[in-house]
Amino acid sequence: MITDIALLILAGGLPYYTLLEKNTRLSSKNIFLLSAFLLLCAVVLSLSIPNEHPVSLIVVSLLSAIFSIYKATKTTNFYKLGYYLIFVNAPFFILFEDRGILYSVSLLVSLSGLYLIAKFYEKNYGSANYSNITGITLVAPHLGTYLSFYLIALALYPPFPNSLFFLNYIFKSDPDLLSYIVVTTLFFGNFFLAMRVMRKTLFGRPNPNIHYVRMSLKDKVIHLFILILLLILSIFGLKEILL
Amino acid sequence: MSSIIDKLNSVKDTVPHYWPIGSFIHHNPLKGFEGLHFKDGLIKAQSIFGGKVYMDSSYYMDLYEQGKIHDSVFESNLKKVLVEKGFDIPLEFAKKFLMEVSPKWSSLRIKFLSEKENIDHQLYLYLEEKSIYNNEKAWLNKLIKHMTLYEINDALFGGDDKESVEKNIIEFISRFLDEDQTTMRMPNRELGMFEAFKLFENFTYDKNAESFVEESLKKLHIKDTESYFLSHLLKLHGWAGFIKYRSEDPDYISQRQHPSRLIEYMAIRLYYELQAMKNNKLSNFDLFDEYANNNLQDSILKLLKHKNMLFGQTLDSIEANEKTIKILSEHVTNELNLDALQIQHSNQVLQSNLPLTQLATILKNLREEEGYIWLKSLEDSYIHTYVDKIIKVQAKEEEKAIASATFCLDVRSEVIRRSIENSGPYETYGAGGFLGIPIAFVEFDKAHELFLSPAIVKPQNVIFELPNESHEEYSSKIGMNKTTKKVLSDLKNNPYTPYIMVEAIGWIFGINLFGKTFLPQKTNKLLSKLKAKKPKTRYTLDKLSVEEIEFYVKKLHTKIIHSVLADSTSHDYTKDEIDIIRNHLIFNDDLKIDISDEIIEKLKTAHQITAEDYEYQKKKLAMVGFRLEEKVSYLYKYLTMIGQVNKFPEFATIIGHGSVSDNNPFESALDCGACGGNISLPNTRALCMIANAKDVRIKIAEKGINIPESTKFIPGLHITTTDEITFYDTDILTDEEMQKFLKVKDDFNKASKLSRVERSESLPYTHTEKDMMIKSMDWSEIRPEWGLARNMGVFAGPRIYTKHLKLDNRFFMHSYDWKIDNDDAEILTRIFDGPLIVGEWINLEHYFSTVDNHVYGAGSKVYHNVVSKIGVFNGNYSDLKIGLPIQSVYLDGKAYHEPVRLISFVEAPLEIVGKAVENSIAKPFILNEWIRPVIVDREAKKVYSYENGEFIVIKEM
Repeated sequence: MITDIALLILAGGLPYYTLLEKNTRLSSKNIFLLSAFLLLCAVVLSLSIPNEHPVSLIVVSLLSAIFSIYKATKTTNFYKLGYYLIFVNAPFFILFEDRGILYSVSLLVSLSGLYLIAKFYEKNYGSANYSNITGITLVAPHLGTYLSFYLIALALYPPFPNSLFFLNYIFKSDPDLLSYIVVTTLFFGNFFLAMRVMRKTLFGRPNPNIHYVRMSLKDKVIHLFILILLLILSIFGLKEILL
Repeated sequence: MSSIIDKLNSVKDTVPHYWPIGSFIHHNPLKGFEGLHFKDGLIKAQSIFGGKVYMDSSYYMDLYEQGKIHDSVFESNLKKVLVEKGFDIPLEFAKKFLMEVSPKWSSLRIKFLSEKENIDHQLYLYLEEKSIYNNEKAWLNKLIKHMTLYEINDALFGGDDKESVEKNIIEFISRFLDEDQTTMRMPNRELGMFEAFKLFENFTYDKNAESFVEESLKKLHIKDTESYFLSHLLKLHGWAGFIKYRSEDPDYISQRQHPSRLIEYMAIRLYYELQAMKNNKLSNFDLFDEYANNNLQDSILKLLKHKNMLFGQTLDSIEANEKTIKILSEHVTNELNLDALQIQHSNQVLQSNLPLTQLATILKNLREEEGYIWLKSLEDSYIHTYVDKIIKVQAKEEEKAIASATFCLDVRSEVIRRSIENSGPYETYGAGGFLGIPIAFVEFDKAHELFLSPAIVKPQNVIFELPNESHEEYSSKIGMNKTTKKVLSDLKNNPYTPYIMVEAIGWIFGINLFGKTFLPQKTNKLLSKLKAKKPKTRYTLDKLSVEEIEFYVKKLHTKIIHSVLADSTSHDYTKDEIDIIRNHLIFNDDLKIDISDEIIEKLKTAHQITAEDYEYQKKKLAMVGFRLEEKVSYLYKYLTMIGQVNKFPEFATIIGHGSVSDNNPFESALDCGACGGNISLPNTRALCMIANAKDVRIKIAEKGINIPESTKFIPGLHITTTDEITFYDTDILTDEEMQKFLKVKDDFNKASKLSRVERSESLPYTHTEKDMMIKSMDWSEIRPEWGLARNMGVFAGPRIYTKHLKLDNRFFMHSYDWKIDNDDAEILTRIFDGPLIVGEWINLEHYFSTVDNHVYGAGSKVYHNVVSKIGVFNGNYSDLKIGLPIQSVYLDGKAYHEPVRLISFVEAPLEIVGKAVENSIAKPFILNEWIRPVIVDREAKKVYSYENGEFIVIKEM
């Protein structure tokens, strides 16, 4: 029971919204980092505890996730979106049990890419808010490509690892009604959140009021490294599905 | 008081005409601004359309560093501006600003976003005083300029009405204006756009579009009707431009069948706007004014957000639900801080002793002028470079040519002309591709006319192409291809058959798919074998007699009536009975036979057998062919225009041009602009037929041009994608002549090869001749050729002065000899009236598509879909894309086309040019400097340039 509550605190969103977001001293960037760290803690913790979780925990985390989806639709800041996505996916983590670890790792790797993009925006446009940075694909194609990869991964599109681990769970579990509800809700939640960002910042006409900045070689290499990590995870994911 | 139509007419020219893509007409997207000086026109256009009108200063700096912009020229232009504008600053100071600070102006703002520096308080206050932020009402009005009420509602209350309103409009007009792309045609289109719309939307309204517009404007409480019309026209200005074009062209077939007017389009827009407003809080402008007065700051903030004018931090503050007054105040402070920091940084770089407030004003003014200074400096540098090269040459006698070749003045003929001249004793000429002979051409086996003339000229002569030999095989192949297409189309569009079709014959399409992708050349060869080979043809060049006209009209009507009767009744009508029906329909004679009213009505409405149509058909048939005097006149004008009046070689070839590419909706943009975006072969064939006619030669000799009997005019076609030249109508040559002509053909083939090699250097991913050939048949090729990109000038004068120059396909080259021209400069006036206008349209289309492809161009080809067979749009609905695709003017993210105004070199005395300008319809844009005239006056030994309302000497020879 205690570990369940600990997991809920670590992987669920509500405590963060009630405590951290109200704290004006903490920026959304710090909340993002803290959330990612705590999710990592939850992953480690879950390795040492039994994998059975009560239904009530899943229901609570699902409600928390739905609230996170709602919150995510209200933001155009990459940092906020990043930690909302962690909480959106928390029920998966709980529901997937031991198979949820690799899913969480994939999620964290994709989100680390998103975090670096957010940092890039913050450095060059003053904030990680993407609302006015439109038409990236046309004016900064490298940035557009990397961001597309991360968003497609988060949208649970194959062959990215998130989707493969997700599929693996569906194929290898005995779903009940609750599982159906969680899987369907969160699949579409992830999908629409990622697509919403794509529509707003990747596509459309570039904003004439913005001076667009292209990625440096160092940035490109770092993002390439993250993509390679995703690729390796994808291979694992594919193996898990096929074996 | 002006009517609603007058009010619409007063703003409609802001949007340019859009011609259907099948006959792509290059045009100046700012045609409606040509009444203003180029610089002023651009300022006004920018205030309406937004976007850029000059390239960024970093672009010009690159050209400066490459040596294309001469330092002395730049300094001279800058000095002139400093004097004219009364800027009391040293030249070096201004130059340093434009070269070192201005190219980084925008990136500096980015830098200062993350760097904290102290702001000069005085400067801050000065900037604040000068800004619009002090007057919030004026700020709001600026923000809502050219916004419709539904857009304002969207901005203030976060709705999505714009999306649905524009989508509904596009859905209706694309279906109404469809030219046979869809298989499910909209019904009732013959009633006109507004009437069809009423049925489409199922709303009852008894009055016309004008009344509806007036009532709608009242409902919306519009105060400035003209301005609101303009706002609406700008929303989808591609579609508006197309409706404007077709409504002003009474001969446009679709317009005659399905009439549309701009006021009807406006009525449709307003209908959807009113529908959207029904559920909105601010359903008219009075309500908006009231709301804005009560929530001024909130409205401004929301409009700024809607227009993407806020900083990321400000957007974060809005998300955090901070107070509007605080957010707006922080936004203003941020903006002013960045403005101040830009000026402070400039001051550090420039080491100026000026007070910062004074510096701010000077820099603002300099930044307003810099685009024009750079542009003019680039043009002037080119002018100086080419003037030096052109005036170096002195006219001299050349060896007698075996053959002459007249090409279209199109820039793409430069390399091939030079290659031909280098291949043997050949001389070349340049003329407007329509050769001064505007024709309406009806191709063999086609039913519609093609206007082969500049878009501003309406042809008065119709030419039919008729087979000269048996064509059974052709007809049977065409018939078979048509049937196959029809069957496939039916199978595809039937609700049930596609499933079976894909399984059964889907693999056949795979041959095409894989073949075109992996073996384009072999597949093309295979497919060309399946195509019907057109028989040899002749043209109807002679006029029809009145009796013949009557005969043909009657024959046409009789055939239609017979066919309708056969389809509608089982009764077999005799020839006399059909005559009675016809006479009833046309001459209103008594109908003495028993026939249903329904059939009569069908003949009148669906088949247009009416008195009006009878007169129309007679009028059209009277336009067929030319009178002898017309033939002589056209030939005379052509020969004098290019200056070929006494040097006639044995073979005078006239070579039209066209382009070949696959899967390219913009293919006609690569065809002849002077022929209305069509292949110019019919004009060349017609003129050659005329020139070879004995009666014409006798008559033209009376006018002083003696064409030797041994001279044969041979038409040809230059494919600009591959540089291949094919000759036509060579059967007029005797065997002996043919032997000689084979040598000419051989040399021209060699020239084609040379030209391909030279052009392959500038085409991306093209290394060999084979690569170039493949480009013309590769369906994934986005640049089958560079087309008219990089065009920069016109040269009108004898070829001798440019023959030695490698002009890299950048000049329109029109042959002209002023010594043949008369005192009124009639020939030069004709060149100004046709080729120069076409050249200006092409040039400015490229200019604006390059400086801002989002506003004036067509965007990326990747997203294009053909709509209604009239143009392309992005994705599944958008505005009709005007201008050129980005791939036509950019390469690897950098501008390939160098945007400059058309530098127009004319080899003639100044007085002659002055008269031509005075008499030409091109006078407004010449005097307003939308082109750059340069006069090389060898008589006076001076070179002039037209600037600021006068010709000034720029060089003494």
